[in-house]
Amino acid sequence: MSKRTPSISVLTANRLDDGIVVFLGPAGAWVESIDAAVVARSPDEAKALEAQGARDAAANLVVEPYPAEVREAAGRLIPVRARERVRVEGPSILDDVPGYVAAAPRSSALPASGEREPAEAA
Amino acid sequence: MYRYDEFDAEFVRQRVAQFRDQVARRVSGDLTEDEFKPLRLRNGVYLQLHAYMLRIAIPYGTLSSRQMRKLAHIARVYDRGYGHFTTRQNLQFNWPKLSDIPDILDELADVEMHAIQTSGNCIRNVTADHFAGAAADEVADPRPYAEIIRQWSSLHPEFSWLPRKFKVAVTAAEQDRAAIQVHDIGLHLKRLADGRLGFAVYVGGGQGRTPFLAKLIRDDLPEEDLLSYLEAILRVYNLHGRRDNIYKARIKILVHELGAEAFSAQVEDEWRRIRDGALKLPAEEIKRIDAYFAPPAFESKPAVAALRAPDRAFDRWVTRNTHAHKQPGHAVVTISLKPIGGIPGDASADQMDAIAGLAERYSFDEVRVTHEQNLVLPHVRLGDLWEVYGALENIGLAEANAGLVTDIIACPGLDYCALANARSIPIAQRISERLARRQDEIGDLKIKISGCINACGHHHVGHIGILGVEKRGEEHYQLLLGGSGAEDAALAGITGPGFGPEEIVGAVEKVVDTYLKLRAGPQEPFLAAYGRLGAAPFKEALYAAA
Repeated sequence: MSKRTPSISVLTANRLDDGIVVFLGPAGAWVESIDAAVVARSPDEAKALEAQGARDAAANLVVEPYPAEVREAAGRLIPVRARERVRVEGPSILDDVPGYVAAAPRSSALPASGEREPAEAA
Repeated sequence: MYRYDEFDAEFVRQRVAQFRDQVARRVSGDLTEDEFKPLRLRNGVYLQLHAYMLRIAIPYGTLSSRQMRKLAHIARVYDRGYGHFTTRQNLQFNWPKLSDIPDILDELADVEMHAIQTSGNCIRNVTADHFAGAAADEVADPRPYAEIIRQWSSLHPEFSWLPRKFKVAVTAAEQDRAAIQVHDIGLHLKRLADGRLGFAVYVGGGQGRTPFLAKLIRDDLPEEDLLSYLEAILRVYNLHGRRDNIYKARIKILVHELGAEAFSAQVEDEWRRIRDGALKLPAEEIKRIDAYFAPPAFESKPAVAALRAPDRAFDRWVTRNTHAHKQPGHAVVTISLKPIGGIPGDASADQMDAIAGLAERYSFDEVRVTHEQNLVLPHVRLGDLWEVYGALENIGLAEANAGLVTDIIACPGLDYCALANARSIPIAQRISERLARRQDEIGDLKIKISGCINACGHHHVGHIGILGVEKRGEEHYQLLLGGSGAEDAALAGITGPGFGPEEIVGAVEKVVDTYLKLRAGPQEPFLAAYGRLGAAPFKEALYAAA
């Protein structure tokens, strides 16, 4: 048997209307914070998230959903790959961008697309 | 500058209307992402890591003040206050909302700009020497030919679905500032043996996963045959270029696999067939386009020499950031978008507005974008340099570093790009900070950084190149030495094992220290010293203690 710790993952995508990074959250809503994401802790749970992502992509809520491997540290979810950490944290150089103006925060999460499977345990 | 005629204006407006409809159908769900993606890419819209990105064409890198002000306006109203000038002489906005993009394209059309053919497997925005029409060392302005190519290649029905993207660059000087030997087609405008203007034609250059320098396939192409010869090249490529493997689909692979001689023979066969057809360029048509690029009404003012001595910083800036102009009493000014520790190629909306004002007042309304991610005021009177310098100081863009070690090319990298494996920008920032104090001592040295194998940061042709890769999920960097994108074009070689993000800046410094220690003197630039010494002493410095 492999001694490797089983991987856990979240489902991520970009929102259709503005391309912003989102994660599949509880009750099927897409949220901007990874800490609010539903975590898949088994292959079956990962498959369920991916199926939901495919439905939401077909429903034109999000674009190109895919699972991102994460680890848990101090109660936070940390993506394993550097690429995904940059997606979560945003460009690392924004403080140095000349004239950068942060976007106003969006008021609510992207709603769920109709009927949902029961949310996976976070 | 070229001005749209009725046809140009109409087709750009039609394209905006079409894309507006396509976006509406995407948002409403009538188009799937698979259906929409090729349509958005045709209009310069990418989906990057954090948001959509809009890439706007700046044909042959030439902008008017009005166009620059429009870009500033778009940055403020639709984006996040800044834009990024790229190694393809384009401008990218990193945060537009999909639903805003048709409005942005309409605003661009108001100033005769668009984003067509900035992506997709078509002939991309034609690039040119950024000093074109101004440089003392050119035989003629290459931009009329770039404009003729733009008109021929825009929505060309036969070449809208090529095996892969296709990039053309044009220069008219012996000093190659357009990197023509690393383009699919590189054109060198020159005087032919009979004294008429014509072209040396290079084909099959490119960077990316498999870099090649272009091969010279014709050295004496008369200007009237430019389009028929390009058409012949594109036809051979379109027929034989591979469509089964994206990594082998560029023309450079075809030229390499066929051999330059066999490829050239096929081009010549096709060219003979079409040479005297509809694509023959009448002298009157060349003259008509040429008229759009007529030199401005220059007038002489007192020279700058008297102003230089009292101010050493200004003196440094004049030495580094101005270039000889063909018109006495004038200079070409490079505005460095590389402040020490800054982000290569980024400019705020306020900076863009200020530069538009400078162009209007001091440079006959023209700005250029360079493939080295700087801006240029092409026609500044020597007597106005002091005022221009002062105005650039006020907006933080008076760094006297053109061509120096802090004038670094860096692609957006993993901070923005969906294809990237590692960040480029922070590496450029840290190298700039580390070496700034010694940059005058180091002299001409080009560092180029790409965040992935696609090589948008031109690492293959950096004197020092850095390639970001992913190693076990983390950022890692390979170091390359000895490349050049200029007339002495060469591909850099990898030094050996790569470096982590915390090590790569120190590795670059070791290379620079080794050069300073071993060079024959300050007159021997890095590339010459590397050519004389070879890679061995640099590798020893990098790896011997490990």
